[in-house]
Amino acid sequence: MLELFRNIFAPPRHLILLILAVWLGTTLAEKRAERFGVKKDDISAIIYYGFIGFIIGGRLSFILQNIAAFIQSPLSAFSINIDVFDTFGGIVTCIIIALILIQRRQLSFWATADALTPFFAILSIGLSLSRLAAGTAFGIPTSQPWGIDLWNAARHPTQLYAFIASFLIFCLFWFPKQTLPLGVSFLTFAALTAATQIFLGKFRADLTLIFNGIKQEQVISFIVLIVCFVLIEIRLKKISKDKINL
Amino acid sequence: MNQTQRIILYCLAVIASVAWIGISAQPNALTNEFAPQEGFSAPDFTLKTPNGETYTLSELKGKAVLINLWATWCPPCRAEMPAMQKLYEEYQSQGLVILAVNATYQDYPLSIAPFINEYGLTFPILLDETGETAAAYQLRSLPSSYFINRAGIIAEVVIGGPMSEALLRTRIEKILE
Repeated sequence: MLELFRNIFAPPRHLILLILAVWLGTTLAEKRAERFGVKKDDISAIIYYGFIGFIIGGRLSFILQNIAAFIQSPLSAFSINIDVFDTFGGIVTCIIIALILIQRRQLSFWATADALTPFFAILSIGLSLSRLAAGTAFGIPTSQPWGIDLWNAARHPTQLYAFIASFLIFCLFWFPKQTLPLGVSFLTFAALTAATQIFLGKFRADLTLIFNGIKQEQVISFIVLIVCFVLIEIRLKKISKDKINL
Repeated sequence: MNQTQRIILYCLAVIASVAWIGISAQPNALTNEFAPQEGFSAPDFTLKTPNGETYTLSELKGKAVLINLWATWCPPCRAEMPAMQKLYEEYQSQGLVILAVNATYQDYPLSIAPFINEYGLTFPILLDETGETAAAYQLRSLPSSYFINRAGIIAEVVIGGPMSEALLRTRIEKILE
């Protein structure tokens, strides 16, 4: 079954899963946007221009980081190879474009972040499936009966663990009817995602090791978790203060 | 949930996270395993050139190696050959070895020699006649390139092509470090 899944969505076709996730996430976010006082069109524009920014920014960032190589063969900048890409640079560009749009369209930052939460949740599900198709983000070897055969060993199916966790987080935000205070929905989603990354990090074999075998991605997720806790408290305090003032 | 309850929850989450990160620490075990993926040791093979010369990957430790799996009928494979030849000439003296493994079991053996002449290739062209090396590298797409550092660890994998000259240069410089 796993082999069939990997054959259907083999590299670079794993990108199809990510694009499907972007499409589905956009549809769901648009559907919920009004609940947060954000127009459907604003959500579409942020995702659309953010996506374009991600592609162009990722390519430009890679070129800038390796400028000497591109000066020697400038046409390489237009290569169709998707490896000419820096994901971090793409994400930074995407965030900058989203912030510019939020400011220009005079949107509330936290309302927009809340409205985009279903998009991020679906993207997280798509990312785990995409990694399963590509065989990346793989687990450490295991003798558990649910281990999957990957890279010459039976390994923890960390991509499936991530898929289940992402799906549960999505359900937690999508199905309940009550709305959380402004910004708390997005921040809780980010905190839960960071906590999941910390938990699943133990079973991942591909993470970058820093001092004493500590996994870098777990440390980054831990910092994100603390920042989310602090921001949740700041948001709740501000909201209660605003209520008192009213 | 009131503020005190939330603070207790945050503290518990922080303590649990720190403990879990500590428990998760592990030595880098990937380098002792062989698989065609970034971070693993590159699967070993011994193959012959059309002239009968033998190359064994494990004997090239200490050199930066680019393994390129290709076939004569594959247009992206053809497209990236000139850049590979150019960079091989440029970086050979610094310890770069390019092993162009022809998927002979799915190619036309008679077209290999004219192909080498057409592109003026001087790096070793190896013949995978049984498909064993392609299987060891779990070949799914042609061309596929594996950039192996001096310790014999796969630093980068590029599936599909053609690789541009700049991309090749950045990857090669990384494994030469």
